[in-house]
Amino acid sequence: MRITHWWYTLPLRLRSLLRRGQMQRELDDEMQFHLDSLIEDGTARGLTSTEARQEALRTMGGLTQRKEEARDMWGLTWLTDLGSDLQFAFRSLTRAKGLAFFVVVALALGIGMTAASFSMLDALVFRPYPVANPNQIVTLVSTSQDNAFEGFSYREYLDLRNASKSYDGMIASGPVIGVGFSPDARTTPRVKAGTLISGNYFKVLGVEPRLGRGFRTDEDQVPGRDAVVVLAHAFWKQELGGDPAIVGRNVRLNGRDFTVVGIAPASFPGLFIFSRTDFFVPLAMGRLFTADPKQDVLEARDARGLTVRARLKPGVTLAQARTEVASIASGFRSAYPALYRERGASVHTQMQMRTQAGDINWKFGLIFTVLGFCTLLVACTNVAGLLLSRARARTREIAVRLALGAGRQRLVRFLLAESLILAGLGGLAGITVGYFAIQALQRFSIPTDLPMTVPFRMDVRVLFACIGLAVVSAVLCGLAPALQSTRTDVAAGLRSADVDPPGRRGMWGRNALVVAQVAMSLMLLTASFLMARSFQASVEQSTGFRTDHMLMTRLDPRLLQYDVARTQQFYELLSQRLRETPGVVSTALTQNPPLGLDSFDRLAFVPEGYDLPRGRESVKSFMDTVDDGYFATLGIAVTRGRAFTAADNATAPRVAIVNEQFAKHYWPNGDAVGRVLREGDRGGEPIQIVGVARTVKYADTVELATDFVYLPHAQRPSARMVLLTRSNGDPLQLIEPVKAAIRSLDPNLPIIEMRTYEDLYRYSAVEGPRLAIRMVGTMGFVAVFLAIAGLYGLVAYNVTRRTREIGIRMAIGASHADIMRLVLGKGLTLVAVGTVIGLGLGFAVEKVFNSMLFHTVGVDVVSYLIVVPTMLAVTLLAAYLPARRALRIAPTQALRCE
Amino acid sequence: MLPSVTDMSKPTDLVQGTLDLLILKLLAIQPLHGWAISRRLKAVSGDVLQVSEGSLYPALHKLEQEGWIKAEWKTTENNRRAKFYELTRPGRRQLETQAASWDLLSSAISAVIRLSEA
Repeated sequence: MRITHWWYTLPLRLRSLLRRGQMQRELDDEMQFHLDSLIEDGTARGLTSTEARQEALRTMGGLTQRKEEARDMWGLTWLTDLGSDLQFAFRSLTRAKGLAFFVVVALALGIGMTAASFSMLDALVFRPYPVANPNQIVTLVSTSQDNAFEGFSYREYLDLRNASKSYDGMIASGPVIGVGFSPDARTTPRVKAGTLISGNYFKVLGVEPRLGRGFRTDEDQVPGRDAVVVLAHAFWKQELGGDPAIVGRNVRLNGRDFTVVGIAPASFPGLFIFSRTDFFVPLAMGRLFTADPKQDVLEARDARGLTVRARLKPGVTLAQARTEVASIASGFRSAYPALYRERGASVHTQMQMRTQAGDINWKFGLIFTVLGFCTLLVACTNVAGLLLSRARARTREIAVRLALGAGRQRLVRFLLAESLILAGLGGLAGITVGYFAIQALQRFSIPTDLPMTVPFRMDVRVLFACIGLAVVSAVLCGLAPALQSTRTDVAAGLRSADVDPPGRRGMWGRNALVVAQVAMSLMLLTASFLMARSFQASVEQSTGFRTDHMLMTRLDPRLLQYDVARTQQFYELLSQRLRETPGVVSTALTQNPPLGLDSFDRLAFVPEGYDLPRGRESVKSFMDTVDDGYFATLGIAVTRGRAFTAADNATAPRVAIVNEQFAKHYWPNGDAVGRVLREGDRGGEPIQIVGVARTVKYADTVELATDFVYLPHAQRPSARMVLLTRSNGDPLQLIEPVKAAIRSLDPNLPIIEMRTYEDLYRYSAVEGPRLAIRMVGTMGFVAVFLAIAGLYGLVAYNVTRRTREIGIRMAIGASHADIMRLVLGKGLTLVAVGTVIGLGLGFAVEKVFNSMLFHTVGVDVVSYLIVVPTMLAVTLLAAYLPARRALRIAPTQALRCE
Repeated sequence: MLPSVTDMSKPTDLVQGTLDLLILKLLAIQPLHGWAISRRLKAVSGDVLQVSEGSLYPALHKLEQEGWIKAEWKTTENNRRAKFYELTRPGRRQLETQAASWDLLSSAISAVIRLSEA
């Protein structure tokens, strides 16, 4: 009955909760009516009005009490009780300001660190796309043995879109690319970030333009016809002053007039995590923006530079979509056997795309979050320990309350209210700590001129996580002390101010807390040391090249519609001129220097004399296109054979230089120099290996040694290049000479970015790792600090509690050593147990780090040799200092105590 | 004359829950305000069932919170505003259940009493 009509009573309960004031007035009126009626009754029987009134009041039997009883019936006593609990708990906490302060700081650090780490994980994994119904959006990928997350080409996208039935629309978009932008033809273009998108992009995503319109489907049909552009909101505001009249006017992109048809809303900065785009252009205009002059992006089936996303129809499962796309891919295989021999396709959710095994950023986010949570756990155990001893010291108070008839449930609630207040304050302070930590993360600058953003911010999910963490910590901190203290034996509690519960059970919880603290802080400290040392090791391994005295200049003559021949000539002349410039030692051209921010191209090839794995037609390796000055300028040693020379030009036989890892991989027993690679497949063009270079770090400092091929720029042209200029003095002194050299060749050519290579290197190999080490290190030190405080507290508490006992022992002749053993013994055992458990956790963490981040095996003995003794020394000191107090106890005084 | 002490006593001699049953029964006949319920109780049961004036209201509020009765402010015949209570549908069901179990209880008790007298 009760359960079936809760829906009926719920509004009544809510009313009594929310409209308490009104109900109170109604109750008053109702009782008043009764009273008046009684009085009338009395006067009717012939009493005077005063007599009648007195009689009526007597009859009612305590008006206030009756009202109180009626109010109790509103079924909300628990809530009003909670209010008074909180009030009382707050008052009792203001009497223990020191404790409250320590607790709030501990929780704030724990919550703040977790929040900051979670903001990374949130941005990298959880934050939904800023579109309508983001959960329906899935990503289609082309799969091969080398890469299970490849994109699609424009042709493939069109075929997929026409053949599939699982989706309400399918869109394609390119990466963020540098585009020469100018408001009109007279102004020198500046490089801005553009994205190529399919015509249905905004419609399928459900993004309504702020002004104007999105693209029409017909604007994406004919290559090169519709020069239209949609501007991103931030770009429109910053570059064009938010002028609404811009819609309908022309701007110049890569030397061509484009009509602005719309402005994207501020809520839609694009679908990238790290970068914003400044404007969107239709894919059909792709030829104007492509990177590879040899490939026609609109025709080549293997120009797989597009990300294809689709909105899953309601009711269609991911498995169905996968089956469909796999069958379309098998159709591709039969239609174009040469292009699709080992290629399939699949569909992934946003989450699956963001948690790829090959991506390292989200792994750091995850590891930081888990470690941050561990710090919070240490803080919670610490707070629980403190509250436990506080509750123990209040045994008498609690016994009195129990004896006076307080319900145990009510007492537990009261004690939980205390931890709730503490956790609430800790949560608020934690949000503040987290906010500033995230601000610090945001200051981390990425050395590029394209609009890269650090996406970490305090958003709704991070805020909710903070609140959740505060509630979890309230329960973790408060429950154990609350339950334990209400087990108090009333009679014993009343006799003494501070009595251990019978048996050793009472101390067990407290001991476990100290063990957990020692173990977890040891683990966190180990984690920070391991991370620091692994980064250090990986950076040391990567110093196979020079980083000093080099100026980087990024150029892309395609922004001015240069063709291949003109581009090659430009770079040749530029290098020549710069090498004659005073102050320039040498120059180099590369598509992306080591540890640069771009990704490397991949070269498909067949190594002659090497047995390909069964079923493979070719293998792939990362590659770079470099000029003859590259190896000398960067100081990458060519250990066998020779470096590229000016003679390796377009007409000479094709040559390549591979790295040592590559040579070892394919010819473990012989010399790689002189061997031949066939580009593409067995019948491809032969490329002879003329040299072997040292293996360095290419994409990031923690990568495994990876295969790498260098091809001469003259034989494999690329338009977008990085020019490295080595100086004999400050590389920044070369900025003007380099600019002058470029202007002398073409005054209109935009310079995409200019900075020292040292900047870039520091970002990739120094600043990033330093940030990671700092985060984990801070967690480690906070944890150790808390563990020290916890242990200190425990021993100090023990000494105080046993003052009388110690006095007696000393009086009957116990030595100092005996006393130390007595008070320290327990603490030392706990430290020992905690250390052993912490070591185990440390090994586990090392295993996770090795497999997820650093790709190494084995145990880093040095870390443990530093961490464990340090931890032991520090914890012993924390136990020893309060223990020393026991020795100073004067027996006569101790006996008088209590 | 002042009323006797028994007038003021709580209905300790009422079996627990009986007051609920009486109120529900009275309201099943017609909607009433608190004052009327207390008069009606006195009148119907004579002086056997003595309900103190004040303890009626906690009982009424409890029944209201359970959803068995609902209240509405209306004007009395003397043109005064009073809170009238009336039985709800779940309240009617509850009355039936309670009445049935009261019957069961009272007949069981009577049976026991007769047994001990025999």
